[in-house]
Amino acid sequence: MALEDLKYKDNLMYMQGFITKVKDGGVEIDFKGRLGSMSIPLRMLISDYKPEVGQTIGFVMSHPEIESNLIDETYRKVMNKEE
Amino acid sequence: MSISAETAKKHANDPAVTCCRFEAGSEIKPDMLEDPAILPDLADSGLLVLGDDCLTIGEVLGGTLTETLDALTPITKNVVKGLLSKEETKAEAPVVQHTEEKHEPVVYEQTSNYANPGVVRIYIGEGKDIDLEFPLSVAGSFGAPVSAPSVNQVSTNSAVAAESACTASCEAKEVRKLVKKHYKIEKVEMADKTVIEGTTLKIRKGLIKEAIDSQDLVLDMKIDIITPNDYDKYSETIMDVQPIATKESGELGNGVTRVIDGVVVVVTGTDEDGVQIGEFGSSEGILDRNIMWGRPGAPDKGDIFIKTQVTIKAKTNMERPGPLAAHKASDKITQEIREALKAFDGKAVGEEEFVQYRRPGHKKVLIIKEIMGQGAMHDNLILPVEPVGTLGAVPNVDLGNVPVMLSPTEVIDGGIHALTCIGPASKETSRHYWREPLVLEAMKDEEIDLCGVLFVGSPQINAEKFYVSRRLGMIVESLDLDGAIITTEGFGNNHIDFASHHEQVGMRGVPVVGCSFSAVQGALVVGNEYMTAMIDLNKSKQGIENEILSNNTLCPEDATRAIAMLKAVMAGEEIKEAERKWNPNVKLSNVELLNENGLKIEMLENEQVLEKSKKRREIYEVE
Repeated sequence: MALEDLKYKDNLMYMQGFITKVKDGGVEIDFKGRLGSMSIPLRMLISDYKPEVGQTIGFVMSHPEIESNLIDETYRKVMNKEE
Repeated sequence: MSISAETAKKHANDPAVTCCRFEAGSEIKPDMLEDPAILPDLADSGLLVLGDDCLTIGEVLGGTLTETLDALTPITKNVVKGLLSKEETKAEAPVVQHTEEKHEPVVYEQTSNYANPGVVRIYIGEGKDIDLEFPLSVAGSFGAPVSAPSVNQVSTNSAVAAESACTASCEAKEVRKLVKKHYKIEKVEMADKTVIEGTTLKIRKGLIKEAIDSQDLVLDMKIDIITPNDYDKYSETIMDVQPIATKESGELGNGVTRVIDGVVVVVTGTDEDGVQIGEFGSSEGILDRNIMWGRPGAPDKGDIFIKTQVTIKAKTNMERPGPLAAHKASDKITQEIREALKAFDGKAVGEEEFVQYRRPGHKKVLIIKEIMGQGAMHDNLILPVEPVGTLGAVPNVDLGNVPVMLSPTEVIDGGIHALTCIGPASKETSRHYWREPLVLEAMKDEEIDLCGVLFVGSPQINAEKFYVSRRLGMIVESLDLDGAIITTEGFGNNHIDFASHHEQVGMRGVPVVGCSFSAVQGALVVGNEYMTAMIDLNKSKQGIENEILSNNTLCPEDATRAIAMLKAVMAGEEIKEAERKWNPNVKLSNVELLNENGLKIEMLENEQVLEKSKKRREIYEVE
């Protein structure tokens, strides 16, 4: 989806969470308020300290928008394999 | 926020807008004016409406308001009395005048007069309103660039770095030489022995099992020989593209290296659950649609791939040992091919000579390459024994990411084995360093003295980033450089280091040019006053990481622009400010400028020439 197609990109929500898992290459974060979770590579994390489980994080994000009904079969196949 | 007198002077030609409410009768001073840098943002959010009748800061300073103005009001003629006339403002701010002029680019075709004896050296660290006059005969011998500021009007911004006195002994000095011998291979097949016969490369079938057994984390490995007829086959994400090369004599960086033409090793893989090894996006899909052929780091159309498909233990794709195991297992295969290449007694089809010169008397330039070092697959192996090998190399993460100096020949002789699994479009693969365009072009450029290539890793934690950056600064300081080019791959928190390196170099008075993928998705979020000369490596139509291998990496067209921009900055030219939002036309006008002045740049194609992959059709570029 092109940046211009996002309808709500300027509506930024403040998200807070904490680190639940630290891997060599990334961290897993759980959001407060049962708003979800995410797993990101270290490159996408800004930190003054070594990431550790239990540290709190904050960021802003716009609401994810589903672009269309089209389904990418390759991704579907990979996801089904995992189950 | 109001501004200081210094900022007001720098932005004398920018719109004058009040920062707060001011009563009629107030004398207009810098601390009443809003910061011009944020005016576009204010205008965008509707808080400010800027008309054409808005006066500039230079015009209103010293005047008096005749009406009370609210905050964020553009100051127009009808509310001010005692305006300075245009002539007076010009006289007061010669610096600004210089900034306004659109400079013709420096013409670099001229042979420099460095060997001209009796050249006077003038070095002015920081001057103001300098007025120099020279008799024509002496001025002519300066060999100054065609349109540099004329000798009797020097801006306060630039040091007049005239050529240093150079006698006839200032010739280029050869430091080391590397010869690459090319051997053509037209067919690759699995057989009982690893050997090269004529133009056929045979690989021992039993080698695959040995490669799997050599690494605990590797559960399985398959080898596919992909010929051009198979380019429409599906492939897992490409983790690295590697030339097959071996030392015939000498150490890495000098002597003679043998390399195979027409065949590359392509490392691909997943973990046992099928999750791609690599985090931001993957280039999996039909090969023909996910590779930007011909880029320095990508396969060339017509290459045969020895494609290893490695399966590593589940969930180890984001752990450090995982990707490393995949690379090491693949390297076991490549190493046996290297031995066969060493033993091959056939004839080479061609030879390339790379000479590293030092050119005393010329502008001393350093190339700084920022590489990933956050851990796991964001890592590189530095200086293996064999070109692009793994044995003998040390990961830059283990080196603490501190700067490591390589000679230009060490870089292009396979001194870097890239593990980096960042976004495929901006990833610098091992083959990229083997054919690094910026290093190659800088080595050949007789007008600059390339003193080395400094690799610096990008750690995760901010404190470590600045620790490493300051060490880079100290090295730069001790080298007494005339200019530096900083490149980085990918985007993300490595842009924080990128900015810091610019500061470390720039604050020591060294002109610096930066190269990075930026455009839309990688827009720089950090910056400083030294990041004024930047080259965007983006080539994608939409300005995004579009998961097409090597699409947005540094190519010859970027190298030419970077070196031209550095020469301009070193000569004291002003680089026009970047636009707020990514505009692909800025790059095109730079290219036009260079083409008009004799520097032919061949523009490369982007992903638009590839047949659209499913991902592009459905995700990135829906029609």
